[in-house]
Amino acid sequence: MHADNILRELKMLDPRHVRVLEARLDEVDVEIEGRVYCGVRPRRPFPYSYPEIVIFYRDEEELGMLRDYRKLDPRSRELLERVLRIIYFMPRVKKILGVRSAKGKYEWRVVTDKGPVTFYTWSRCIRLLRDGRLLIRDADGRVYMVEDPEKLDSKSRLYLSMMM
Amino acid sequence: MGGDEDDDGIKLYPSSGELPPPLRELLEEGEEVVAVARSDLVGDEYGEKHVVLTNKRLLVLNERLEYEVPLSKITMASLRSYINTCVMALDTDEGPKSVVVFTKARLKAFENLVSLINNLVVGKIPYSLLKRQLLKRVKAEAERKSSKAVLLRLLGLLKPIAPLLAATIVVAVAMRLVNLIPPYLMKILVDEVLTTRAHVEKLAQIALSLLAVNLVNTALGTLNGYLSTKLNVAVANRLRYKVFSKLQELSLSHYDRFTSGSLFSRVIDDVNRIQWFMTGSFNMIFINAAMIAFIGATLVTLNPWLTAIALLPIPIAILGSAIYRRLAARYYHRLWRRWSRIVSIVSDAINAAILVKSFGKEPTFREKFSESLEEYERAQMDVFKFEQEIWPAVGLAFTASNILVWWMGGLQVLSGAMSLGSLMAFTSYMWMFYTPVFSLLENVKSLQRAAVAANRIFEVLDLEPEVEERPHARDLELGGEVECENLWFTYDGVHYALKGVNLRIRAGERIGLVGPSGSGKTTLVKLLLHLYEPQVGTIRYDGVDVREIKSSSLKRQVAIVLQNPILLDTTIAENIMLGREDASPEEVIAAAKAARAHSFIMRLPEAYDTEVGSRGSRLSGGERARVALAAALLKNPKILILDEPTAALDALTEEEVTEELERLTKGRTTIIIAHRLSTLRFVDRVVVMDEGKIVEEGAHEELLRRGGLYKKLWEAQLKGLTRMSAAAVSEGYAR
Repeated sequence: MHADNILRELKMLDPRHVRVLEARLDEVDVEIEGRVYCGVRPRRPFPYSYPEIVIFYRDEEELGMLRDYRKLDPRSRELLERVLRIIYFMPRVKKILGVRSAKGKYEWRVVTDKGPVTFYTWSRCIRLLRDGRLLIRDADGRVYMVEDPEKLDSKSRLYLSMMM
Repeated sequence: MGGDEDDDGIKLYPSSGELPPPLRELLEEGEEVVAVARSDLVGDEYGEKHVVLTNKRLLVLNERLEYEVPLSKITMASLRSYINTCVMALDTDEGPKSVVVFTKARLKAFENLVSLINNLVVGKIPYSLLKRQLLKRVKAEAERKSSKAVLLRLLGLLKPIAPLLAATIVVAVAMRLVNLIPPYLMKILVDEVLTTRAHVEKLAQIALSLLAVNLVNTALGTLNGYLSTKLNVAVANRLRYKVFSKLQELSLSHYDRFTSGSLFSRVIDDVNRIQWFMTGSFNMIFINAAMIAFIGATLVTLNPWLTAIALLPIPIAILGSAIYRRLAARYYHRLWRRWSRIVSIVSDAINAAILVKSFGKEPTFREKFSESLEEYERAQMDVFKFEQEIWPAVGLAFTASNILVWWMGGLQVLSGAMSLGSLMAFTSYMWMFYTPVFSLLENVKSLQRAAVAANRIFEVLDLEPEVEERPHARDLELGGEVECENLWFTYDGVHYALKGVNLRIRAGERIGLVGPSGSGKTTLVKLLLHLYEPQVGTIRYDGVDVREIKSSSLKRQVAIVLQNPILLDTTIAENIMLGREDASPEEVIAAAKAARAHSFIMRLPEAYDTEVGSRGSRLSGGERARVALAAALLKNPKILILDEPTAALDALTEEEVTEELERLTKGRTTIIIAHRLSTLRFVDRVVVMDEGKIVEEGAHEELLRRGGLYKKLWEAQLKGLTRMSAAAVSEGYAR
C-alpha cells in the first residue's frame, strides 16, 4: 500500500472545500467541493483516540473523510460540533459521591458536567484508554468519561480505584 | 504392569552398570549406547524386552539377542497403536519389520526412541550434535528427579530475597520466644509472691514485665506481618515473572506439547503452591524447630519425669492421624464424587437446556437432581460419623496424660519436691509444646508438595527454545523469492507432517496451496515463518538460510493470516496496528478498507475504538478474519501468506475479498491456502499437497488436464455446486 494510493482510497477532503450549511439533531447539510448533500451523518472512526477525524455518510455511502474537522471555517465547525455533541453525547464525571453494591450490581452516584446522575454497573465496568482517560460503562451500555482521574478529589479517586 | 510413576521406560545414555547384561558383550569397539527402551510385553504375555539404540545399530534383547539391524539399513521408524498395545515398526532395506510390542504405558518411551531413530536415519542429524543435546536433557532430568536438588534450586532462585527471608524467620522466632515468657513470670508470681506473701515490690515488677512483654510482642507481630506480606508478594512475583518470560521465549512447538490449560496452571497454580509454602510453611519449619528445642529444654529443666509423661500422647496422635489420613481419603473422595455428580447435572441442565426442554426431560432431571442431593447428604453424614470415631480417641489420650501430669505433679507439690508455680508453668508449656510438634509434621508434608510444584515449574524453565536465532543472524531486505529444500517436519517425533517438501517460489509469484485436510499445508507455512524448526531441510529467502535471518526482520516482511484468527483483547484499531505499531489512523482505515472490514467497523458505535473482547469474542468469525487480514496488509509485507482467508466469510463477502486480494497481491509473493478452489482463480501456480508431500504443481487448466488429485478436488466442489443449483432449479419448477 503506497501513500498516494491510500489517500485516493480514503477520499480525503480538503477542509477549505467543505462547508456545513445546516445542522439538524444528528444530520447536517454539507457542501463538498461545490456539491450540496442533504441528510449527511458525520461519524468518528476513532471516537476516543482521534476524535478530530470525521467521515461523512449519506445512508451507506461514504462521502469523504476530514483528517481534522477543527480546520473547517468557524461557522461550519460550530454546526458540525453541535451534531457531534449529540451523536457522541458523553457526560464527563466531575465528582463521585458514592459507590455501593446493590442487588448484584454497583450503584454509582456521580456529578457530571451534564448534572448529577445515578447509574448501575456490573463489576467489570471501567475501561482505561491509552491516554489515561477512563470510561465507565453502565449496565444499560451507557458510557461516562473521566477525563483526568488524577484531578478528581481524593474520595472520588478512592471509589474509582476500588472499582478498577 | 506399568511400574511405578517414575519409571518412564527409557534410559538415555545409560551408564554401563544399567545396561542389560547380555548387551555388554555385544557392543563393538567404538559403539555407544544412545538409549535403551523397555517393553512391558513379550508377545501377548507380560514380560520385558530391551530395545537398544546405539550409534551404529538397533538391537532387540530378550535374555539374548533377538534381532539386530544396522542404522544404515533403516529408512524410517514408526509406531502403530491399538486399543491397549502399540507396535514399533521399521522400514528397512529388506522390507518392513515389526520390532516389538508394548502396552500404552510405554508409548511415551517408544515415541522418544522412534524420534531418536528418525533423527539419525531420516534427519541425518550428526550423531555428535544429537549426543550433546541429549546429554544436556539427561542431566536436567536427573536434577529434577532428586527433590533435594529441586529444593536447593528453588532456594537458589530465591537468593536475591534471602535477606528478607532471613529477617522474616528471625522476627517470627523472636515473637514465639517472647510468647514463652509469661508462664515463667506466672511461676515467679505464684512461687515468690503469692504463696509466700513476701516480696510485694515484685508484684509491680512482674505486672510491668507482663505489660512490656505484651508491648514487645505486639510490635514484633506487626513487623512479622509486614515482612511476611512483603515476602509473600516477592516470592510469587519473582517466580511468575520468570515462568512468564520463559513462555514468551518458547517456540510454538512447546505450546503444542503442553495443553494451554497445563501451561496456564503452571504459571498460576504451581506458583501459588510454592508461594503458600514459602510464606506459610518454610519459615514455620525453623520456628517450630526452635520452639520444640526451647520448650522441650524448659520442660526438662522444670521436671524431667513429668516431661516423659507429657510426651506419651504424641505417638498416639501421630498414629491416629496416619489412620485418619488413610481412611479419610475414602470418605472424602466419595463426598467429592457425589458433589461432582450434582455439578454435572446442573451443568447439563443449563448447557443442554434446549435438548432437555425439547425432549421434555425436565421431570427426569428434577428427579435425578434430588436423588443426587440425598446421596450427597448421606455421604456428608458418613464423613461426620467417621470423624467422630477418630478424634475423640486421640483427644482422650491427651486428656489422660494431662490428668496424669496433674496427679503426679500434684503429689510432688504436696511432698514439696516441686513448687506450685513450677507445676503451673509446666502445664502451660506442655500445651505450648504440642502445637509445634504437629505443625512440624504438617510442614514436612507441604515441603513435599512444594517440591512437586517446583519440579513442574522447572520443567518449563528448563525448556530450550527450539527455534534458535544464530548469533550472527542479520537483517535482510527480502526480495520475495522463497525456496524449500527437502523439508521434513514432525510435531510429536512420531508422525511426519512434512515428508521431503521441495518448493521454489519466484519473487512476486502467487501460489495456491491446496490439498485434503491434514496434508501439511498449514505446517508448511508455519515453517516458512520460522515458527518451527524443521528436523531436516532448509528454507531460504533470496538464497539465504532462514536461520541466518533475524527473526524480527523476517516477521516484519512476511505476513500470515491464519484460519480462525484470534484477536487480542483490545480495540480493533490496536489489533490492526499489530501489523505496524506506528501506523497513522489513515493507514489503519485504508488497511481495513482493503480487507473489507471498514464498513462493518463503522457500523459499531465506537468504530475503530471498539474493544473486541477476549480472543475477539465480540466479533463474528468473518469479522475477525477481516480484521486479521487488515493487520497483515498494514505490514505491506513482501511475502503474504493466507491460510484459508475466506473460510469464515459468506459467499458475497468472499467474492469481494477475493477481488480485493487479486488487486493487493499483484507483484507480491503470495501463498494462499484454500479449500474453496474458486478463491484461487488469480494465482499463477497451484501446488497440490497430499500426506506431507507435494504431488502436483502447475496452472489450473494444466492440472485439470492431468486428471490427478487436483481434478478430483475440483470435481467434488463442482458437484456440490451443481447439486445446489439443480435443487434450486427443481424448487423453481415446483413453485
